[in-house]
Amino acid sequence: MAGSNEVNANECRMVVPLNTWVLISNFKLAYNMLRRPDGTFDRHLAEFLDRKVPANAAPVNGVVSFDILIDRTNNLLARIYRPAPPNPSPATTPLADFHRPPSPDPFPVIIFFHGGSFAHSSPNTAIYDSLCRRFVSLCGAVVISVDYRRSPEYRYPCAYDDGWAALKWASTEPWLHGGKDAKLRVFLCGDSSGGNIAHHVAVRAAESGIEVSGNILLNPMFGGNHRTESEKRLDGKYFVTIQDRDWYWKAYLPEGADRDHPACNPFGPNGVPLEELPFTKSLVIVAGLDLVQDWQLAYADGLKTAGKDVKLVYREQATIGFYLLPNTDHFYEVMEEIKHFVTSNL
Amino acid sequence: MSSSFRSDMGTDPYDSVGDDRWIIASASDRGSSRGEIDSLLHGAGYRVRSTDLRHVAIGLEQLESTMVGDQCVASSAEAIHYNPSDLTAWVDSMLSELAPDPHLLRHPLSTAAANTWADPTQQRPSLHRLENHHQHRNVPAVSLQSMDEEEDAAIRLVHLLVSCADSVQRGDSEMAGSLLDQTRLALARVNTGFGIGKVAGYFVDALCRRLYPPPPSATGGGGSAANLEILYHHFYEACPYIKFAHFTANQAILEAFQGHDRVHVVDFNLMHGLQWPALIQALALRPGGPPLLRLTGIGAPSPDGRDALREVGLRLAELARSVQVRFAFRGVAATRLEHVRPWMFQVAPGEAVAVNTVLQLHRLLGDRASPEGGDAAAAEPIDTVLEWIVGLKPKIVTVVEQEADHNKPSFLDRFTEALFYYSTMFDSLEGGRVGGSHRGGQQQQQTVVAAVAEAYLQREMCNIVCCEGAARVERHEPLARWRDRLGRAGLRAVHLGSNAFKQASMLLTLFSGEGYCVEEVAGCLTLGWHSRPLISASAWRADDADDASPPRDHQTLVLQDHSSSITSGSNNVVDGDDHLHQHSVMRSHMGSSDRINDTGSGSSCSRV
Repeated sequence: MAGSNEVNANECRMVVPLNTWVLISNFKLAYNMLRRPDGTFDRHLAEFLDRKVPANAAPVNGVVSFDILIDRTNNLLARIYRPAPPNPSPATTPLADFHRPPSPDPFPVIIFFHGGSFAHSSPNTAIYDSLCRRFVSLCGAVVISVDYRRSPEYRYPCAYDDGWAALKWASTEPWLHGGKDAKLRVFLCGDSSGGNIAHHVAVRAAESGIEVSGNILLNPMFGGNHRTESEKRLDGKYFVTIQDRDWYWKAYLPEGADRDHPACNPFGPNGVPLEELPFTKSLVIVAGLDLVQDWQLAYADGLKTAGKDVKLVYREQATIGFYLLPNTDHFYEVMEEIKHFVTSNL
Repeated sequence: MSSSFRSDMGTDPYDSVGDDRWIIASASDRGSSRGEIDSLLHGAGYRVRSTDLRHVAIGLEQLESTMVGDQCVASSAEAIHYNPSDLTAWVDSMLSELAPDPHLLRHPLSTAAANTWADPTQQRPSLHRLENHHQHRNVPAVSLQSMDEEEDAAIRLVHLLVSCADSVQRGDSEMAGSLLDQTRLALARVNTGFGIGKVAGYFVDALCRRLYPPPPSATGGGGSAANLEILYHHFYEACPYIKFAHFTANQAILEAFQGHDRVHVVDFNLMHGLQWPALIQALALRPGGPPLLRLTGIGAPSPDGRDALREVGLRLAELARSVQVRFAFRGVAATRLEHVRPWMFQVAPGEAVAVNTVLQLHRLLGDRASPEGGDAAAAEPIDTVLEWIVGLKPKIVTVVEQEADHNKPSFLDRFTEALFYYSTMFDSLEGGRVGGSHRGGQQQQQTVVAAVAEAYLQREMCNIVCCEGAARVERHEPLARWRDRLGRAGLRAVHLGSNAFKQASMLLTLFSGEGYCVEEVAGCLTLGWHSRPLISASAWRADDADDASPPRDHQTLVLQDHSSSITSGSNNVVDGDDHLHQHSVMRSHMGSSDRINDTGSGSSCSRV
């Protein structure tokens, strides 16, 4: 990698705006410091460096947020975002108002799993707080951002268990059931590892009979044992290396497992067939400069082959994290795709 | 589990005081506003001036070059990070730590290459103006019981309490009384073992007290200083807040004392001196040997002829002797902080001074003027005290305060804030305990400790709800306001680094309740429960602290729990005369000329 660094750097700089480059490079560098070669993770430094924002019960751009405890036994927290309720009368408390549906009409509930390759970030990480707020404004949704347990301290299947717990919780909350038919219209959404979690929670939902209106996977994190062409071609070029991907899989998957474990490679040799399951429809967004795109494209193909409804959105010039800052065309185009997907599947 | 919100507070301009003021630079202004903070990065939690972006980018590339493979992790493990939000400073400090010799950089970038970032006109104007959502820091967490009924009852209870407080504020005592009755009924339907139910009971009592204040004679005994010390000590044991405060403050003091061989700590509230054994130990172990340490402890006068301050001083002196730290102690007894004068400390020339205030400064605040009137123009006690603190030219001022706004002008606002703040607090007491893996006997003892800790908190709550004027001393204000105030007084923030953060996090792992969290915000640390910060620790120095401070050192405090050694310490107090001879334990006492008499009201409360 050494010799071609400068070439890599030049190419990368050409496709992203300067502030995006600074943001993602900063993450890359900080994350490099946190991953130890022996597979352990400097969690304290990670939390120190992570930029967080508190929940805010006062409306900001018409959106309010608050934190809740979903499951006491696992200390499973989530941050809920919703449109600000109309001005309450002086005698009521915001607490009461926040637990009413945001609208008498059907509205989407988006359960969001933040990215971070299973190890980094939290719902209160600033970039994800912003993204969730954006989803509320975009779709009139209630967004539930789940604070799932992270690796390497908690490996597979903890993140999936927590995602599942959040979905079950949502299905028992009366105020999340909208429209005259009082129905939960839930979308599972996530970026990077969050996309992976969304898939697996959707499988569990299909197996258990909870209806999911749709999956939205933004640059989902999948992989496998063999090295794909895109991985080889793009290794180290746009913020991400094969080596770091390997580290995160090793930290998440069970000890001794390899990357053909179904969590990592759902359509690989050990995958669970989806043909017979009422698996939901999916919107899969792939960035053309993401080195794992071959796995993501294979995932979309796998869904199609299993007879599941999938729309693939491929953006050539997009790198990882393009959806974090609203300063490119693909950002806005993808947001429109998400909005369309949600509103047409309510 | 706690359920907490602030009532919507769009109107109070003080609520919009954020810890960082910044100017929104929309992309359309990008040409003319080059010197302003990049708004998109600000939304992501980073403050970088647009004009600095290239510098930071180049720095990041250089950093990457120096960090190759395993060496990257190893070398960066030694580094201490300060203020990760300020990318410019962070990158520069990392570069100087990890790549001190620029000639060693592998791929120095040519200036031509450095300018090849994507054309900024490709950026679309931002359609969403980012607002300053770093305001309103103190909005606490909410959780819901899974059963509908329980949830409804809790919501109803909160509603009733707030309505009752509202009637009290409007002076409608009949309505308030009737609501109180309804609240008691609602209380019966809620689980009062934890969460909002538990704390609601206390608030009902407090409201009752405010509506129907007991006659003055009845309030006499409860407020004695000795009782308060017992409550405080149990609070210290039951949860990590005070330990966190002590530990973080000590770390900052230790760093500030680097290179000084005569140091003087002024402690605004000595109590049992629980904070100081760890510092004494750390000073004993520091490279180059310990300094001469003087400690001046301020505390309430002892009513019964005991000299509590002196006793604490003797115990600390004994400890100092055992680790060979030259130590001297002085006690200053005062019923109110604003009566203390700096000459009482007898600061010697050439001494490095540290001022330590844990949960004290808020007691010096007065009523906040209404929003329209702006901040109070008249000098409050806080201004006087801050002035003489600055006058001491301290190397460091450590400030620990509750992270809440319990000093709002409106009673209803204060009440609502307090309701949610203390319910989170109580939750953490409960949660920290339940998770423990102790045997039965210890479990019981823990229950007792937690119960007394609750009594400590109840005192605070009661003061906020029932008292007004000089009697209301629990005037907590959030970090953002303290930042302003301390800044105006001439103090500049000193960033607490990742070291302090890491050690604080490790402290938390000793507590089994997994809900505690430490966060870094612009150089200060907060400790909270489930993402609601409850206490903040920050460090300051005088603006014009002249001598260049010695380079920050990586020495860290040894984390020890000394509380038990203090409480059992009464057996270890060496004979007083022996001490006086060996250590010149000084005591400013209490000739009547020094005793500060207070004609104020102490613990009695007046009704609004």
